[in-house]
Amino acid sequence: MTNPLITGEGDNKLIANSTFLVIDDFLGMRGMLTTVLRNCGANPKSIDTASNGPEAISLLGKKRYDVVLCDFNLGAGQNGMQILEEAKFKNLIGPSCCWIMVTAEKTTDTVMGTAEIQPDAYLIKPVTEAILTSRIQKINAKKKNFIEIDRAIAARDFLKAIRLCEERAAIDKANAVELLRLKCNLQMQSGQPDKARAAYENLLATRDVPWAQLGLAKTHIQTGDYESARDLLEQLVDNNRSYLEAYDCLADTYQALGENDKAENILERAIELSPNSHLRQRVIGDLSLKTGKLDRAEKAFRKTVSLAEHSARKTPDAYIGLAKTISSKANPQEALRVLEQMSKKFDGEEVRLKAKSVEGLVYHQNGDPIKAREVAKELSAMIERSSARIDSASTREMAELLLATGEQEKGLALLQSEVMNNPEDKAKLAAVREILRKTGLSEKGDELMEFSRKDAINMMDAGTLLAKEGKFEEAIDKLRSALEKMPHNVRLLLNSAHVMIAYMEKSGTEPAMIRETRGNLLAANQLSPSESRFSQLMAKLEALGSN
Amino acid sequence: MTPPPRPDATLFLASSVHDMKNSISVLIGTIQRFIARTEPENSETHREMSQMLYETQRINGNLIQLLTLYKLGNDLYPFNPETQEIAEFAQMAASQVGPLLSSCGIALEVDVEDDCYWEFDADLVNGIVVNAMNNAAHYTKSAIRLVIATVNDALEIRVEDDGGGFPQRMVDEGIAAMRGVDFSTGSTGLGLYFAAVSAKMHRNRKEEGSIRLENGGGLGGGCFILRLP
Repeated sequence: MTNPLITGEGDNKLIANSTFLVIDDFLGMRGMLTTVLRNCGANPKSIDTASNGPEAISLLGKKRYDVVLCDFNLGAGQNGMQILEEAKFKNLIGPSCCWIMVTAEKTTDTVMGTAEIQPDAYLIKPVTEAILTSRIQKINAKKKNFIEIDRAIAARDFLKAIRLCEERAAIDKANAVELLRLKCNLQMQSGQPDKARAAYENLLATRDVPWAQLGLAKTHIQTGDYESARDLLEQLVDNNRSYLEAYDCLADTYQALGENDKAENILERAIELSPNSHLRQRVIGDLSLKTGKLDRAEKAFRKTVSLAEHSARKTPDAYIGLAKTISSKANPQEALRVLEQMSKKFDGEEVRLKAKSVEGLVYHQNGDPIKAREVAKELSAMIERSSARIDSASTREMAELLLATGEQEKGLALLQSEVMNNPEDKAKLAAVREILRKTGLSEKGDELMEFSRKDAINMMDAGTLLAKEGKFEEAIDKLRSALEKMPHNVRLLLNSAHVMIAYMEKSGTEPAMIRETRGNLLAANQLSPSESRFSQLMAKLEALGSN
Repeated sequence: MTPPPRPDATLFLASSVHDMKNSISVLIGTIQRFIARTEPENSETHREMSQMLYETQRINGNLIQLLTLYKLGNDLYPFNPETQEIAEFAQMAASQVGPLLSSCGIALEVDVEDDCYWEFDADLVNGIVVNAMNNAAHYTKSAIRLVIATVNDALEIRVEDDGGGFPQRMVDEGIAAMRGVDFSTGSTGLGLYFAAVSAKMHRNRKEEGSIRLENGGGLGGGCFILRLP
């Protein structure tokens, strides 16, 4: 569907041909915004209004809007940001939709909400015709100029997106800074922190720019230099006391350096500035649970649950954390109730597996070995049937429960799959050994794990070697069967993409194989973002596909 | 027995100002619509409505400044400097005082350096400039000039008028002369204090933004000057 705002017709036509949605809980304000739009040249028949989240979402589901004017503060229920979140999450608005957030005042919550989901503009009331017209035209011009870049980013072809940013920056002075910022972000995402660092340093040599200082700190984090990152971020936070993203980044850095108290303190400061971020509350919950501050953890997790109530991106993690915390406080009944609530709110195999695992933990922790064993048996059977991808931490938790309750065979198998998926990750391998030590299985288990690790490495290398000898079909077969055994092994995913691309470059493209390669690459990117090999292979694949 | 707690208005400052701002936004919109409907332009009603709009916008401006100062004082203001196209910024600021100036018969001239981009917090600086123009509208005879240009590695925003100029004491002492309420003139000093604090937020390579007052300038009256590094 084309958006008249994007196709670049005359300015007056632009607004006259667009469709508008006004979202505001206050009748007077809806009327006023509608009048302003009419005075800007909008067709009255093309203006719809909604007074709350559900109404807005329902309208957005029925019709494509070119412009959405949304009040941030909508009283009880969803706020404007959460509506935008849900609309993006449910794919109700495309990239061409101009989403303008209207606020009574500028606050850290409105302006510096979440990094990934941002409206195209914020307008502070009162909204006048001149300001609205100019803003819509400006957003439209920008969207038009960024359309190719946005497409490349959506296709995860970061190297192409970087090239397009460079081309655009040479002719677009008004957006030069924005393009530079985007390009640096893309360099980070494509595993080129050195290039991003040079650009940030170059900019910072002439101007103090907070986002570039934050970017520079992130390049240090990406290359593992946490001390440098910490020094930069401490200074940045001191000089920019409302820059919440810098607080979060500093807290992560403290955690990586093992300075958990400092991480807690900096997060508490961020929460004072912006008490309504459920993501940050959850980080505090996880951290406090880790350091054994159970009251604080419980409070943070409860706050996460209530803040995320209206968010489309809420996850069961806060419930899991809350159940674990309460179980550690020797209140098994309440912990089980939390898990029950979670099962009512969330669906899916992954959630059921995690819930079962925590249920077993609750019994195990609170002196009910018979119940714990029962639950472990059920969990074991569920894992047998399941194909859900479970993250490393949960996999280890499940394995620990199984081993502690006598489900030895299944527990060891789970740990073996964890080792095979991460045979080169020292921290994860150490965590597996720690579980074996705790459950008194080191003697038998360590040997088994080492065998699995070598087995994985052999399988990974075998496919690559065959490809080097030019035996592509055989190599691809080998890689495919290896992936069945270790579907979350990042290097294997990248290796197989590499071999398939080389094969197609030689023997011609096949749509099915292009899809398979892209699937493997995206899986690798999700497991381990910012791999330079990912972006190189993605660029090659895109080049193949367009030939 | 413990003494009864002292009432603390600051608890309600932010929330009630926020609430008042919502009402004022609706009021401003309504008055603007009334003015647009009132013909002819030189009628008595039209003049009175314009006066009403001016007063309402002044309240709105003051509320924003109070709220912003409260937030700056508590590190709650989301200061976000971004690259601005200066011509567009000037046009937006001018559009906010345009209706008032034309209804009072005051000419507005905008003089902006070509192809100029600068980094600053657009909301803060817009607040400063609009407030300075509203103030100038009060004291000028017939015209106001908004001049924006880069001078010695900084951006200079000047609001000039052809009125009687600032008292020499204010020019000499700057904002130090404006502390406290002067009930005889109705001036609270809020606007200048807000401008000074907001200017100072803008820092670059050890330099800070600043404001100053002059007499003379392009129109021979008062000049308000904001300098951003």
